[in-house]
Amino acid sequence: MTGVALAHGIGVARTFGVGPTAVVAVHDAHCAVYAGEHVALMGSSGSGKSTLLHLLAGLDIPTIGAVTWPAIGTRERLRPGPVGVVFQAPSLLPPLSVLENVTLPLLLEGISRTEAQERAAGALLILDLSELAAKLPEELSGGQAQRVAIARMLATDPRLILADEPTGQLDRATGTHVIDALIAAATTSGAGLVVSTHDPVVAARFPIRWTMVDGRLTTPGVCPCSA
Amino acid sequence: MLSVTWTLGLLRRRRSRLLGATIGVGVAVALMASIGAFLSASKATMASRSARSVTTAWQVEMQPGADASTVQRIVTGFPGVTRAVPVLFGKTTGFAATTEGTTQSTGPGFVIGLSDAYRTAFPDQVRSLVGATDGVLLTQQTATNLHAVPRDTITIGRAGLPDATLIVAGIIDLPGADSLFQRVGAPSTSQPKAPPDNVLVVPALTWHELFDPLVVARPDLVSTQIHTTYDRPLPPDPSAAYFKVLGDGHNLELALTGTGLVGNNLAAKLGSARSDSLYAQILFLFLGIPGAVLAGLLTTTVAASGADRRRRDQALLRTRGASTRQLVRIALSEAMLVSVLGGAVGLVGALIIGRTAFGATNFGGTTATAVGWILAACITGLVIALTAIALPAWRDARQLTVAASRQTVGRRRDPRWQRYGLDVITLVTSLLVFWLTSRNGFKLVLAVEGVSTISVNYWAFAGPALLWLAAGLLTWRIANLVLKHGRRPLARLIYPLSGGLADTVAASMGRQRRLLARGFTIVALTTAFAGSTAVFNATYQQQAEVDAVLSNGADVTVIEPPGVTVHPDQAAILAKIPGVNGVTALQHRFAYVGNDLQDLYGIDPTTIVTSTKLQDAYFVGGTATQLMARLAAKPDAALVSAETARDFQLTIGDTIHLRLQDGRTKQFTDVPFTYTGVVKKFPSAPSDSFIVANATYVASRTGSDTVGSFLIDTNHGDTSAVAARVQTAVGTSAMVNDIANKRRKIGSSLTSVELAGLTRVELGFALLLAAAASGLVLWLGLNERRRTFAIATALGANKRQLAGFVWSEAAFVTVGGLALGTISGWALTRMIVKVLTGVFDPPPTSLSIPWSYLGLVVVAAVAAVLLAANRAVTSAHRPAIEMLRDI
Repeated sequence: MTGVALAHGIGVARTFGVGPTAVVAVHDAHCAVYAGEHVALMGSSGSGKSTLLHLLAGLDIPTIGAVTWPAIGTRERLRPGPVGVVFQAPSLLPPLSVLENVTLPLLLEGISRTEAQERAAGALLILDLSELAAKLPEELSGGQAQRVAIARMLATDPRLILADEPTGQLDRATGTHVIDALIAAATTSGAGLVVSTHDPVVAARFPIRWTMVDGRLTTPGVCPCSA
Repeated sequence: MLSVTWTLGLLRRRRSRLLGATIGVGVAVALMASIGAFLSASKATMASRSARSVTTAWQVEMQPGADASTVQRIVTGFPGVTRAVPVLFGKTTGFAATTEGTTQSTGPGFVIGLSDAYRTAFPDQVRSLVGATDGVLLTQQTATNLHAVPRDTITIGRAGLPDATLIVAGIIDLPGADSLFQRVGAPSTSQPKAPPDNVLVVPALTWHELFDPLVVARPDLVSTQIHTTYDRPLPPDPSAAYFKVLGDGHNLELALTGTGLVGNNLAAKLGSARSDSLYAQILFLFLGIPGAVLAGLLTTTVAASGADRRRRDQALLRTRGASTRQLVRIALSEAMLVSVLGGAVGLVGALIIGRTAFGATNFGGTTATAVGWILAACITGLVIALTAIALPAWRDARQLTVAASRQTVGRRRDPRWQRYGLDVITLVTSLLVFWLTSRNGFKLVLAVEGVSTISVNYWAFAGPALLWLAAGLLTWRIANLVLKHGRRPLARLIYPLSGGLADTVAASMGRQRRLLARGFTIVALTTAFAGSTAVFNATYQQQAEVDAVLSNGADVTVIEPPGVTVHPDQAAILAKIPGVNGVTALQHRFAYVGNDLQDLYGIDPTTIVTSTKLQDAYFVGGTATQLMARLAAKPDAALVSAETARDFQLTIGDTIHLRLQDGRTKQFTDVPFTYTGVVKKFPSAPSDSFIVANATYVASRTGSDTVGSFLIDTNHGDTSAVAARVQTAVGTSAMVNDIANKRRKIGSSLTSVELAGLTRVELGFALLLAAAASGLVLWLGLNERRRTFAIATALGANKRQLAGFVWSEAAFVTVGGLALGTISGWALTRMIVKVLTGVFDPPPTSLSIPWSYLGLVVVAAVAAVLLAANRAVTSAHRPAIEMLRDI
């Protein structure tokens, strides 16, 4: 892949705790994500996938090494907007309706209420969720809630999409529908997409597959020293 | 086994939740137990203080034909009697004196014969004003009537015998005249309304010379009493002490086998103290129970803030196969743990509070009382813990599905009570009950002399109790209404705090209205509690001060000796003394209203209002200010007692003719006055009938502006110091009394129920509850939503945007709660003060607002909110990584 990386990790390590009980979740990882790339981050539970995604999203800071976002800017400028994150667990704000949840990151970005609502309605339409706009998160099924989370992420038109086990709590059919939505959205916008999963069927749908085993990342074709 | 594992897990992983609930239970237990300690301490002091204030415990009146020495021997030997001294009573047809060429005479009176032993045994019964302290002593009023001074000669009329003459040695006052001249053995309803106007006190030997000739001829005109002191250990409880002394009095009467009747002054005093004791309990019910209930509510709220997590835990356990019984048992074990820990914390706290606030070393006068209070306090703690933790868990386990257990917001209907309008019904019922109880003049306690049972009108409690409930429910309804239907105005109101997110924040608040309405209501109720308690206590203290002023006359009173001419311009000299804020001269005369001799006070209506504390309750037909203005506007205006107005069928504007002594001729002359209003009480005036008129008018019509006393206001200064300076200025001839000294002497009037300790405890708890309610409830609520804030942060919310959410909620709960709490507190205080009218003597003209304390409550509440909100914003902006990993 050519061009400037959206996110670039060099020798990234993340350790939780200190002393003999310390856990190294990510160990000396080198990786880069470019616009238009679709990456599956594979690994079993506890292998460090979520930690690596949090580091790439700028939600966490590496203990050793560095993560940079050459095509986007500094860590402070990642969200809301350029980097969209979809979490494994339900991440909608319980007291806000579906429409308000999708509107929220746009309002946080400083966009006017009217425009934010138009864009949010558009995002919900893309994912065929318009009829759920007035519902509360607790009135949704798991699949619906995850699709709303994707709609919320898409509403900000991100350049890098990071999805952490988005199908982990869903049945196969719903999971497939969610992955379809993610790939379609990334393809349409030309964004970089990284989806972590432990499901080989899901991973098989991505042209690039990274593997994590006990915190060690294998990324075919990435040079540790280049950006 | 599951319960033990769960409890150990709670101790390891949910310490803050347990700590919050434990502290809440501890506060409730401490409040209950502290009030128990207060009640015990106040009851114990009430009995002992009442007993101390009685100088003559029993007055044993010998019956006709009784052998004096036998009666004396029986009384002296009776258990508990430490001193027994005879007092001789002789009725005279009247006194007369010729002074400065004129002769004055009085109506019938009494000549009292006292031995030296009596003056030693009962030194407070005779107070010397002018001249010698022993010999032939005229009471002040008689001396004024006769215009006699020491060394004048007076004539004593004796029925069927020639008049006798004596030389006056001194002028005195008889502080215990009411009990001295009581009708021994008669019920209180048939006692004389006032002591006799004309009294002469002579040595026992002189009395015998005067009246022994009458003993055989007119035995109805002479009598002998034996006055005793009593010194037996009394039970600390006034009621028990009352019955012991009453029983001992009856025993003495039995021992006297009809030769003597016992006037039981000590039992009468203790009888009054047992009413005070019951009032103290009523005060506890009115002031203490709302505090304990609020502490319970607060604990429930603290526990409820962890309810979502507990519900999720429960749902998890149910999916793993836990039965309803096991879930309830787990909740019960948590409740028991909290109640045991909270109970221990509360009892230790109460012991410390009791020791420091009112010197109580235990929770009751007796072991049984102490155990009772400890049990009551611990049961309160247990009930709160069960209500807060076990009851919701039991309800959830029985009624909620696993899916419903995971819901945190929900589109729930309004609670049933709100749909049925229970709050409005409660409010209307409260007002109705209040109106019904007002019809008997709010007489809460009825203690009939000699009857063992004291009846309490507990029905009167229903009014304030229902008002508390209505205030809570109405506050909840208003908060709920604003959050549910007032989203747009709410968004506009919070715009300064949340900017462009105002609509979203308002929507979020609207959907969390149950949580916010609960916090809002708790803040309002604690504010109402703090406000009503503080205002009630301040008003109580104010009335205690007024009571002391009423008795003393003013902060400092200068009483001029009879027969000495002091002009009102002396007030200007007194006004210059450091610490003196205002001075007014008060004439004291005696005037005949028909045949009734009454005290007359000549005042300056323009200066008296700044020199003493006149209450509206002293007057009928207008406020104190209005009646003083009427006096000032009409020189011959006079205020008389209601009894006089009724007896003489007076209507406003009528002319009344009083007979006053002329300063020049010393003769009583007719002086016309215009009836202007009714006065019930007046500083330094007696409790029976008296007249208030303009001093300048009295002076012009009697040719004498002689002042009886000066009333001095110190504007809350050091009255003892001012009194000392005044005494130096006026010399030793005048008597100077200060209110601090008088306050010490007021024995067991209702306002002397020692509220200081209770006040400190109540106000301390109210402050704690207000701060905890606003700060803790907010923080716990925000803490429960750490995950929500973590999501918002992950979405890109910056610190300012997160703060918008937090501060908007904080402002709504605090400002709204404080505002509605102030309104509820005002209404509650008005009702409580009205219902407790019997506690106040005299009733307050207006409520006393302790602004500094209320300011402190607001500052504490706002500081707690600032602290909680700031902490929430900081922790929300830096969410724990574990929190993010959970998303």
